Order: sequence, then structure tokens, then C-alpha cells
Amino acid sequence: MTQWLRFTSQIALLWLIYKLGNIVAETTNFPIPGNVFGMIILFLLMLTGIIQLEWIEEGADLLFKHLAFFFIPIAVGLMQWIGLFKLSGLQLLLSIILGTAVCIMVMGSVATFFVRFRSQKGGC
Amino acid sequence: MNLTLLLITMAVTVGAYILSRLLNKRYPSPLINVVFLSTAIIIVVFWVSGVTVSQYQSAKNILTYLLGPATVALAVPLYRNRKILSQNILPVVVGIVLGTTANIITTVLVAEFLGLDRLIVVSLAPKSVTVPIAVNISTILHGDPTLTSVLVIATGMIGTFLTPILLNLLKVTNPLARGIVYGTTAHGQGTASALSEGTLQGSMSGVAMGIAAIYSSVASPFIVCHLLSR
Repeated sequence: MTQWLRFTSQIALLWLIYKLGNIVAETTNFPIPGNVFGMIILFLLMLTGIIQLEWIEEGADLLFKHLAFFFIPIAVGLMQWIGLFKLSGLQLLLSIILGTAVCIMVMGSVATFFVRFRSQKGGC
Repeated sequence: MNLTLLLITMAVTVGAYILSRLLNKRYPSPLINVVFLSTAIIIVVFWVSGVTVSQYQSAKNILTYLLGPATVALAVPLYRNRKILSQNILPVVVGIVLGTTANIITTVLVAEFLGLDRLIVVSLAPKSVTVPIAVNISTILHGDPTLTSVLVIATGMIGTFLTPILLNLLKVTNPLARGIVYGTTAHGQGTASALSEGTLQGSMSGVAMGIAAIYSSVASPFIVCHLLSR
């Protein structure tokens, strides 16, 4: 019971920072989404020690553990776009696959480059 | 508002999720993807019983209510890994910036070349960023947020399938590198897969997902405008 109380209050705190991020995004009119602002705010609050990791840790981990769950109701929206997928599904699939593959290859090469560079210098 | 329908559709969603998780635990394979499987189950159930997407709308709003706070919580892996992050800031940031840029450019150019509608091309651009942020980027780009979220999910499924295969082919074994690739290409779903490879992979994936989201929200309007203005 107390565990659920902790989960609830920790997620409520995350929700509060999310709302704060949205307010900042709206008032500054900066083209960055409110939840990104919320993320940056939370990170800075933790770095400065204003918010302790223990205050939100369990709630955050619970949300991460079931992160996939939140995507499911959205993915059901596929039903609505079935016509588009019938019409240009192949083009969409190809764009996604190629974009993703290029990204993986670029990042893989960058990472390998840095790892090699580091081992030559004798670091980790 | 039909309360019974709301409760039933919510129950179907939760049930499909639990069933898919159980199946995924018993048969761990990239083909048995929790999001993919649950979505397929729900779509079939809705089709057979005649439930429409608009009838599902209110259930969807309730069930995704915590997605915003979940995005904010991405600061937690960022903070937890601040040491390893500051030690590897160069490969992490350079990798994510180059990878994300290449991803957006390739996707937009290929989609345009294949003759997809401009609305669809624009909605496709933020496909590698976690849903709540991608939806906002899509709005900034004048895309369709619903279509974007569906495409993000599809990307997550394709990314979690493609990433381990390509990384093994490229012989990328470094757990840090593998982690950031998962998070940058396949956001939350990639992070879940990275976690099953190891804790370091999982946390780096979470870190990468956060940084990629920040970078993407700043960069994609510029990149997309330049690519499509020609």
C-alpha cells in the first residue's frame, strides 16, 4: 500500500514538472516541445540537488518498465490509416528502413571510430 | 459517452498488453514485439466486434495520459549516467547528431523521391523520436500528429528488429555504442530491447533517446525546411 502511495506521489511530481515544461514552452514561444523543456528542467533540478533522485526514481522506473504500453493505444490508430498503408505502404516502409539503416551505420561507424581512437591513446 | 464501451476497450488494451508480455517472456524473439503483438490483437478484436477508432479515442486519452510525465522521466537515466556520459560526451553527442541528421535527411529524401504526399513526408520526419516529442515536432512542421505517432511506432518496431542485425553485421560490440544506437533509432521500444542486452546498453539507450529528442526537436524543422524548399 505504501509502495503505491510512493509511486503515485512520485509520478505526480513528474507530472508537475511536465506541466511546468509546457508553461515554459508556451511563455517563451521557443519551438521546443514542452515535454523536452520538462526533461531539461528535471535534469537541471537534479544536477543542482534541488530534486533528489530518490524522490522520483521508483515512479520513473515504473513508467519506463511499461513504456511500451503507452504506445499501444496510439498504434491502434493504424486502423484509421489503413487506406494510406494499402496505397503507399511500401514507400513508407522503404523510407523508414533506409533512414533507420543509414542512422545505424553512421552511428556504428562514429562509435567504432571513437573506440579505436581511444584504444590507440591507451584509454579504456 | 458510453461508459461500458470505454471500460471494455480499456480492458481489451490492458489484456492484450499482459498477454503479449507473457508471450514475449516465454518466446523472446524480435518478431514477438510487445507493441506489435498487442496492437495486432486489439485491431483484430475491434474489427470483429465493430469498434471504431473514434470510439476508442477516450480510452486512448486515458491510457496515454502518463506519456508526458514518462518523457520528463527521461532525465532520470540522463542523471544516473552523468559520469559515463561526461566521460563519453564526444562519441555520444557526435554519434547522435550525425546519426539523427543522416536519418532525417535519408528518410525525407527517399520519401519525396518515392512520390509520397508532402503531408506524409513531413509527418515521417520525426519518426525516430519518442512519441510525445515526435507529435509536437510534427505539429511544428505542419504534419499530421496521429499519422506521425503511428509511423513512430512502426519505426520502433522496424528499428528494434534492424538494429541488432546491422550492428552484428558491422561488428559493433561496444555496449555503450550499441546502447546509443538503439535509443537513437528506435526510441522507447529500442530502449526496452537494449535493456534485454544489458544494463549499460539499456541506460545508454535511455540517455540517447533523451538527447536525440532534444536535438531532433531543434534540428528537424531546419533540416526539413531546407530539404523541401528546393
